[in-house]
Amino acid sequence: MKVLKWLLLPYMAVFIAAAFLWPKPAEGFLGESSRIVFFHVPCAWTSTLAFLVAAAYSLAYLVRRNPWHDEIAAAAVRLGLLFAVLALITGSLFAKVMWGSYWNWDPRESSFLLLIFLYGAYLFLRAAVEDPERRASMAAAYALFAAVLMPFLTFVAPRLTASLHPQTVINPQGKILMDSPTKVVFFGGLLGFSFLFLWMLSLEARTARFLRRQP
Amino acid sequence: MTSLRVPPSPHHPLPHSGAEGESGRVGEGENRSSSTLSRAWAVAAKDAAQELRRRIALASVFFFAATALTLVSFAIGPIGVPLESRAAVTSALLWIILFFSAATGLPRAYVREEETGTGLALRRVASAPIVLAGKTFFNFGLFLAIAAVAVPAFTVLLEWRIDAPGILALVLVTAGFGLSVVSTFLSALVARASQKNVLFVVISFPLLLPLLLSAITATVEASRGGLPGTALRVLIAYDGAASCAAYLLVRAAWED
Repeated sequence: MKVLKWLLLPYMAVFIAAAFLWPKPAEGFLGESSRIVFFHVPCAWTSTLAFLVAAAYSLAYLVRRNPWHDEIAAAAVRLGLLFAVLALITGSLFAKVMWGSYWNWDPRESSFLLLIFLYGAYLFLRAAVEDPERRASMAAAYALFAAVLMPFLTFVAPRLTASLHPQTVINPQGKILMDSPTKVVFFGGLLGFSFLFLWMLSLEARTARFLRRQP
Repeated sequence: MTSLRVPPSPHHPLPHSGAEGESGRVGEGENRSSSTLSRAWAVAAKDAAQELRRRIALASVFFFAATALTLVSFAIGPIGVPLESRAAVTSALLWIILFFSAATGLPRAYVREEETGTGLALRRVASAPIVLAGKTFFNFGLFLAIAAVAVPAFTVLLEWRIDAPGILALVLVTAGFGLSVVSTFLSALVARASQKNVLFVVISFPLLLPLLLSAITATVEASRGGLPGTALRVLIAYDGAASCAAYLLVRAAWED
């Protein structure tokens, strides 16, 4: 993880510089507002990745009953919430520039807010149970149940009604509608944010393990 | 009605239940599934008998639905909803009333067992998936009963014409089933937590929202006489996903 930390520092610096300087702003968007895609989408992607990691470790907990897995799942949910809030903030900034208001009750905005509630509830559930083993079992069951129903919130519900949101990477045409420099920076951002999450997860999980071992 | 019996050994809590039964004989599978169903039905019947004995709990659910209906018709009745937005507004209001009325009754499924101290006995006489199925049956019945009272009253009070009542009934059944499965499972989760009632609302609303959105979309279509194909497919897919997940996870939620 030490190597990852030192590799991430120059990688993210280059990524941020490239996001602001290399690709031309996309057509059909006001000024430089389209550049937010390099930060907004990776935040949203990383939050989804974090929730999937939480589901995987929750399943591992239910199979092996190892408290370490429960701690990683809880840490992944906390980090997923952090990235989800960042995705919501960057999305709201874009909405203000493009549509004149920070919040428009767009189905995609609303579904992401509900995703935050969905996993915020996981933390409420953990706080409401005192016995550590029971808390871990219940939290794992909830995280897996939420992961099964999450696609209905993030993929299905926003597509049931009309949306202001620009076309997503997963679109009906099945094509990535970006020029080459935009594509390089965009996917570079997804990779960078994913590794940033993994590094933060290892920090969070190690802290949780340290606190558990304290008398 | 099938009765629930206390098993002879804690290691084989359901010797004839089908869930833990061990036999590969021909015809045994059919017996097993019918036994599982009858045990689930027995749990549902037990819950119904308990609720009917304590009439106040059931009455409070219907009283809540009546109060919400009256409130909505008081607020909207004199003003009226413009014709072009009537279907959307009334459908949303109907599902808000149904959701909150159900939310006063459905979470009690497991919470009542823990409060009255019968949870441990129930764990001994039936496996967690059977109890989940039984409690889901009861909750589904309760939801349909609420809908049977609330929907006709709502249409009369708000002078709302439904052009495809059969489709609306189908929407109520599919959405009501999903609502019952998720509520019953979450009831098992919160049953042994502190602040159960608040916690149930906090964890259920985001999970149920996709179902409610699809139900509202489908109700709008049904009220206009159309067939809500996409919304109905979403509801059926949601019901299937929620049922499978609840079945697989209920042991971790309730037995551990």
